[in-house]
Parts: sequence; structure tokens; C-alpha cells
Amino acid sequence: MSLTTPSVRFFRITLLRSAIGLPKRTAGVLAALGLHKRLRTVYHPVTQDVAGQIFAVKELVDVQEVDQKLSDGQMRELRRPGPGFWVEKRVGQQAQEEVERT
Amino acid sequence: MLSLNLKRALLESRLPVPPTFLLPWAASLTTVSHTTGAGNVPPPLLNTVQQVSAEEQAAGSVTRKAQTPKPKRVDPTTTLARSATVAGTERPTTPSTLFSSPVAPLSESVRDLLPLLQAQGSHYITAHIHDRPYLITQGDTVRLPFFMKDAEPGDVLRLNKATNIGSRDYTLKASAPAPKLKSATTTTRMVLDPTTGSLESHSRVMPATSLDSNTAGASAAMAVAPHFIPHIAKGKVSYLDERLFVCRAVVMGMESEPMRMKEKTKRRNRKIKTVRSKHRYTVLKIKEVRIRGVEEIEGGGELA
Repeated sequence: MSLTTPSVRFFRITLLRSAIGLPKRTAGVLAALGLHKRLRTVYHPVTQDVAGQIFAVKELVDVQEVDQKLSDGQMRELRRPGPGFWVEKRVGQQAQEEVERT
Repeated sequence: MLSLNLKRALLESRLPVPPTFLLPWAASLTTVSHTTGAGNVPPPLLNTVQQVSAEEQAAGSVTRKAQTPKPKRVDPTTTLARSATVAGTERPTTPSTLFSSPVAPLSESVRDLLPLLQAQGSHYITAHIHDRPYLITQGDTVRLPFFMKDAEPGDVLRLNKATNIGSRDYTLKASAPAPKLKSATTTTRMVLDPTTGSLESHSRVMPATSLDSNTAGASAAMAVAPHFIPHIAKGKVSYLDERLFVCRAVVMGMESEPMRMKEKTKRRNRKIKTVRSKHRYTVLKIKEVRIRGVEEIEGGGELA
């Protein structure tokens, strides 16, 4: 087991409950965190500021502390399923091979 | 940027219990705060996990129809490290061939019943293209609900993601999805009230620190990814071992729908905007659905 602490830790914040009907301050905190829609996830470094923001909307979010920050593109890549197939033979390649042979 | 290799390795891990970020999500998140700590699983849940993980050493079960099915398991889906190519549709390079010369053994049930399944005349397969299932058999013409841009007519596709292969009397199924594990923030330890008279004694155990869990990795015991990504796991399906079958399809060509006109306008506005749509769809013909023999699989035969 490694005893070295990673230098930066991140909060992984997912919005679970909407702020509709709540005071505008709460909605403002969510907007500041970058959570504009339900079930969106954002990563923020672990700091006192962010911790305070989370505390303000603690009933609406799910929070985890992680080592790695993922960007939107990376999360989308993880979500994307594999194609489920691969191309065994391409017609163009075949024709090229035949041309090369001749 | 996560490379395709890492992504495939993460998503198609051979671990008995896959990393948590693969697992179904919605019910596991909560806004109730709990003691933080990655990797703590309540004792009842931990027992369940270990039980299931022991059963799920493999990913598949051959059941005989018209009888009480005994769920048995086959090997998990082979981990594939695909080379980072355009849309990942080139031939995948299997690390199993690189590292271990003897391929992972098949389970007892598969070894016993696969020949029976193979001996039956016609087979069907539920192949998944972009995670969408298609129930197909040899000779079928499939019109996909999308257009494959890089597929020319005459190209041969090898479909490698399948959940079911069956014949009249037998079905080979992929293993059930791994059990729902909760995220670190939702797990708690049970504390039983001693005054109720229960003989069990549970104490509130502080969860292991997240650092320890992270360094432990996705070990079978803790069954937590370094990083739980719940919604990534939503709807993930477990697939059959690719070595068990061969499924080939030929790209026949492209079809397109009749031209559709959509008029867009607002009330009391005379301007009408017209949007034209004519979607294209790729047509495949399934030219081969074959189940490989036990010797062929265990011999490590390539392709064919």
C-alpha cells in the first residue's frame, strides 16, 4: 500500500435534485459549480471554497472525493459503447492488393 | 485524453466483480451524507458480492430450454486492447494472445453443452452493434437504423459483441450483470441496537481510507474502481466470450427513406420554413453465424 498522497484531490459532484422552487441563491450556487442540468457531473478541486459551495447545496448533490479529474470529453468517451464489430475485409483493399499483384 | 486502450481495459476487465463505474447507477446515489471513504461495503453486501464474484468467474451460461435451467458460468469476456484506429473498427489485438499462450479455460457447463448446441441445425445470435441488440441468423438482411460512413458495399464485418446464442433447444447466455454496488458515499455500516435482543453484534467500523482503496485498485475484495463513475455504468450489458462464436456480415449497400418535409412555423407568422430529411441506412446481410467447437476455442485458433 502506497503512503504517498496525491497532490490534488477532486470532488466529483453530480446533481441529483433540481433547484426548481428553491431560492435563487441555491440555483446560483449550482450554476457556479457548473451544474445546469440534473445528473450532470463536474469535477472541482478540493478546496475550502468548493467545500462551502457543496455545503450550500448538499441536499441536492452526490459528492465523491477522487484523485483523477475527467473532462467532459473523457466522460463521453467512457460512456460511448464499443462499435461491436470490426471490418475484416474491405473491398477497396482487395482491389488494391489485386492491382499490386498484377 | 483517455486512450481507447485504457477505456477498453477498464470497461472489459476480467475481474470477478467489475469496477464499480461499470455498474448500474441510479438508485445508488443519494444526497444523504455518509461517512466518506471509498471501498467500504457493508458486511451483508460484501458477502453477497463475494458470493456472486465466486459464481461469476465466467461470463455466460448454457441453459437447456424446456427444463429448469441451472445457471452455470463461462469465461468472462476477453479483454481486448484495441489499437486506436478510426472508430475502433479495425482488427482488435487481443492481449491474451500476447501474454498468455494458453487461453483461459472454458467452464464445465460450456464444455459439456457447447457441442450439443453446436450440433443443432440452425442458430440465432443476439449481436450488439453500438450496444443495440439485433436478433439475427444466417441469411438475414438487416437494415441498421444508421448509416455506416466507412463501410463500402462488399466489406465484411465481424460482429463480436453478443449476448445470446441459441438454437431450438439450447441457449448460450452471457452472465448476469454484476450486482449493484453503491458509491462510496452511500455505503454505511449497520449498527444493530443491542436492546432488540439480536445475537449478532455489529460495530460501526470506520471505512477504509480512500487512499488505501485507491492503491488497492479494483481488487476482488473491495470491488471499487479508483473512481466510481455511476452514470457511465448505467445500462451496461455483459457480453459473451468472443471466442465462442463467429458472426460475419456483408455490407450490402445503402438504403434511404423517402424525402420527408417538415414545415416549421409559428402562429400568426406567414413565414414557413421547410426542412427536408432523407436519412440513409446501411443494409447488412448476415453471411455466417457459427459456434466454434471446444477444441477450436481452447486451441486458440485465430479467426476462421
